[in-house]
Amino acid sequence: MAIFPNLTTAVPLLLLFIFSLLTPHASTLSDDSIVSELSALQSQSSTGVIHLNDPLLRRILSLPTPRPFDFLIFFDAQQLHSKAELSLPTLKSEFSLVSSSFYTNHPDEKSLLFFFDIEFQESQSSFALFAVNSLPHIRLIPPSAIDLKKDSIQMDASDFSRLAESMAEFIESRTKLSVGPVHRPPIVSKKQIAFIAVAILIWTPFFLKKLIAGNTFLHDKNIWMAGAIFVYFFSVSGAMFNIIRKMPMFLADRNDPSKLVFFYQGSGMQLGAEGFAVGFLYTIVGLLLAFVTHLLIRVKNRTAQRVTMIIVLFVSFWAVKKVVFLDNWKTGYGIHAYWPSSWQ
Amino acid sequence: MAALETPQSSTLRQAFGNVIKYESVIHEFDPYFNYRVTQFLTKNGIYDFWNWFDDRTWYPLGRVIGGTVYPGLTLTAGTLWRIMNSLNIPLSVETVCVFTAPIFSAFASWAAYLLTKEVKGVGAGLTAAALLAMVPSYISRSVAGSYDNEAVAIFALIFTFYLYIKALNTGSLFYATLNAISYFYMVCSWGGYTFIINLIPMHVLLCIVTGRYSSRLYIAYAPLVVLGTLLASLVPVVGFNAVMTSEHFASFLVFIIIHVVALVYYIKGILSPQMFKVAVTLVVSIGLIVCGAVLAVLIAMVASSPTKGWSGRSLSLLDPTYASKYIPIIASVSEHQPPTWPSYFMDINVLAFLVPAGIIACFLPLSDASSFAVLYIVTSVYFSGVMVRLMLVLAPAACIMSGIALSEAFGVFTRSIKFQLPGVTQNSPVNAGDTGNVMQNDVVKTEKSEDSLKERPSRKNKKKEKDNVERATVVPKTEKRLSVLPLEASVIAIFLLVLLGAFYVVHCVWAAAEAYSAPSIVLTSRSHDGLHVFDDFREAYGWLRHNTEVDDKVASWWDYGYQTTAMANRTVIVDNNTWNNTHIATVGTAMSSPEKAAWEIFNSLDVKYVLVVFGGLVGYPSDDINKFLWMVRIGGGVFPHIKEPDYLRDGQYRIDSQATPTMLNSLMYKLSYYRFVETDGKGFDRVRNTEIGKKYFKLTHFEEVFTTHHWMVRLYKLKPPKNRIRGKTKKAKSKASSKRSGTLKKNPWH
Repeated sequence: MAIFPNLTTAVPLLLLFIFSLLTPHASTLSDDSIVSELSALQSQSSTGVIHLNDPLLRRILSLPTPRPFDFLIFFDAQQLHSKAELSLPTLKSEFSLVSSSFYTNHPDEKSLLFFFDIEFQESQSSFALFAVNSLPHIRLIPPSAIDLKKDSIQMDASDFSRLAESMAEFIESRTKLSVGPVHRPPIVSKKQIAFIAVAILIWTPFFLKKLIAGNTFLHDKNIWMAGAIFVYFFSVSGAMFNIIRKMPMFLADRNDPSKLVFFYQGSGMQLGAEGFAVGFLYTIVGLLLAFVTHLLIRVKNRTAQRVTMIIVLFVSFWAVKKVVFLDNWKTGYGIHAYWPSSWQ
Repeated sequence: MAALETPQSSTLRQAFGNVIKYESVIHEFDPYFNYRVTQFLTKNGIYDFWNWFDDRTWYPLGRVIGGTVYPGLTLTAGTLWRIMNSLNIPLSVETVCVFTAPIFSAFASWAAYLLTKEVKGVGAGLTAAALLAMVPSYISRSVAGSYDNEAVAIFALIFTFYLYIKALNTGSLFYATLNAISYFYMVCSWGGYTFIINLIPMHVLLCIVTGRYSSRLYIAYAPLVVLGTLLASLVPVVGFNAVMTSEHFASFLVFIIIHVVALVYYIKGILSPQMFKVAVTLVVSIGLIVCGAVLAVLIAMVASSPTKGWSGRSLSLLDPTYASKYIPIIASVSEHQPPTWPSYFMDINVLAFLVPAGIIACFLPLSDASSFAVLYIVTSVYFSGVMVRLMLVLAPAACIMSGIALSEAFGVFTRSIKFQLPGVTQNSPVNAGDTGNVMQNDVVKTEKSEDSLKERPSRKNKKKEKDNVERATVVPKTEKRLSVLPLEASVIAIFLLVLLGAFYVVHCVWAAAEAYSAPSIVLTSRSHDGLHVFDDFREAYGWLRHNTEVDDKVASWWDYGYQTTAMANRTVIVDNNTWNNTHIATVGTAMSSPEKAAWEIFNSLDVKYVLVVFGGLVGYPSDDINKFLWMVRIGGGVFPHIKEPDYLRDGQYRIDSQATPTMLNSLMYKLSYYRFVETDGKGFDRVRNTEIGKKYFKLTHFEEVFTTHHWMVRLYKLKPPKNRIRGKTKKAKSKASSKRSGTLKKNPWH
């Protein structure tokens, strides 16, 4: 289309007439070829997401506006997949989930909406074309878009905050197409469920028989004891806080990136490693105390008893002191001695 | 029994400390509502209380109080007041309310003694009671003036557990019935009763699975389910939930299982071993079918309800990330945040070190009672990890465990010292007999419970067994005498343990005196020139009470709803009972909107006054500006035009010159900082530590009517609607009357 006006200025009227007869045909032909090529690529991909590169994008953009379809591009960078805070892999899989859901819900509208992903390292010029400089970035290009930077619509962070569902809502609000229900693959497939159910059914009578006879791992109190101690350790270390708030195990120091920060100052926050360290200190003292009162007492050798006890006492004392010190450092709370005021 | 006095009196002394420091005031927010309910109860009697519809809150909806509160606390305090008055002791309702919590904390300490005594003997019981009397986590809820459900509920919780263990140890139907009644009291008092009705079935199931089934277990459990459920459904706020919601299903499932198991044991008793094998296959298959059918029914029932039968709060316990994702109103409360490790050090202090030793001691040897104690600590410590407020449930468990650990450790170390003291060694046989007696008690106890687990099907064998036990104890006594630790190491160990205990006591005294006894309605701060008292809240509520009409409506964020109704006696729009999310979101939206939109929302709700809490002048951090993001979030959850990113500059919440225009134009910003620049000329906010962004502005739809001494509470009045339009005076005049009726018509509640 872009060449067409140039030609018309150069050639005689007759040629113009022939061309005007030919161009609509040619245009639809290239339209069709691109769309059919895209459809072919789409059917090759299991989720319906097509991998985009610079030449393919150029060809799509060369189509005359309005193009016969909307398309969405997921901007991806392999090197950033390891950065947990961007959560690119999750978003990418959610994106393909939207795509596959759309195609299964609307098998007859397959060529009206295409899903693409594009990799930064191989198609940097396309990234520049859209002026994408930060990820995650998902963009919807409506059929009429000419200027890619202005006319395309970027998906806000709030639009993929609830993952596939909110992406689907975004598509519905900006295009005339509805995605319909998102089909998440079940965590275990139907066959697996059936298999597990059968296995449990077969296993139950045997287990019950064993249970009545009284010799399963459930009757071993050491397992229960270890489990109880573990749950205690897990909880007092504040691991639940780390899970809910998705805290990392440690941070890099802001002033000196080569250093790692394991302990965070300030009472409302904690880091993963910090919690486990203190949880360990909390637990070790009680374990040692129990060891002394229940096990060490049966040892016959006096010297061994003495040496072990001194080590135990030393370690316990150190652990308590360490926790008191860390608490003081973290929250600023120091013990108030309540001495008579004349002593101070 | 004399020794028991000590922990109790220490509880009371600590709890009263704050009354001496401040005065006899009720604390915080919820207690004000309870106080108001109690006043109503004592004035109008129980039947009116039961049918009370309160039109002072949640305007224009109102709230059915009788059917939506846990009445235990109110009834307890009301009864106390009535008894006092009938004895001609003229106490005011407020005094009774202020002192209910300390009295019940003494009871709780006593209940902890009983429970631990059942688990591990008298020594451990006393230690546990002493620890519970001081534990900071519980102090926070049992100081005088903390008139909240938890005050009586923790006592009810421990006492119910004690009665369950007592019934389990004795197999007595009497205790089982008492247990059900105690459970009823717990249901009356606190929503946390679901913890009991899940924990006890879990324990029963555990006993069955580990082969500890006995007829005592059946006696302890079955009456609780039948009587307990019947009684629980009598409480209006629970009602049919006692049989309809998933929180209670575990108990019914276990109820079925225990019957199946009881049947198996019965058949085992009457059949020969070979016949029994045949019977097992039969019973197992029938049992499976029955279980399957029941399970199918349960699943169908659960699946038919939208939240799968679980309330949001319970779901957030099982799936800890649930609340933060879906229910901002639960996630917004600071009590519902997960705690970090310093919280444990603050709330249970050195007990955190001792608990593991207690857990291990409970396993050596394991009895029905001690397995229950272990289950209690494990579940409560997990739940406390999810929500910081459940630290309160953990505290008694931690005290029990630490009591056991401390008492065992002291037992071992003192024995080691006693037997090896230089002067005593010759007389050791005599002394050994003495201490042996103390030890013997424990030994007999544990032996007894261990024996009884497997081979005591009925009471008939009781006598026979006692003989057995007495014979058996002779052996361990001699064994124990030999097992001692080195003298000097024991001395050091005892010294360190005492040091640890002393640290605990000092910490608890500090916590009781400083951290947890601030009533949060009267604030104090210490500076170089002495003590400052900030009594702004009561000043503001007093102003409202004296200067506004009785029927005026006051809008504020929900935190201050209870206090406004109780102290100012004015109608509020939302309060701390967060039962209607949409209504709260409406207020949140108004606070986040520009002045005109906010005025329209408030006017449609008939609001006359708006109350905001502002801490920027004195540095009071829990003010409305700091809570503002939650208003935006909750408002945005219902009204999508309120968007959180509009209030954040690059994801940061700020109120200085970098703040977003939406933020600077929101009603909350304007009401908080109106005329603020006049105080110091710069408008420096001491909480956020910055100068504010927009300093000079005028209010168009609101007028300031009162600001308290330290600017902590600011009251604004809605300006009356304009009835003329500038430039069109003549035309507007004729239309004024019709316009007015137009605005009135807009209000959906007229």
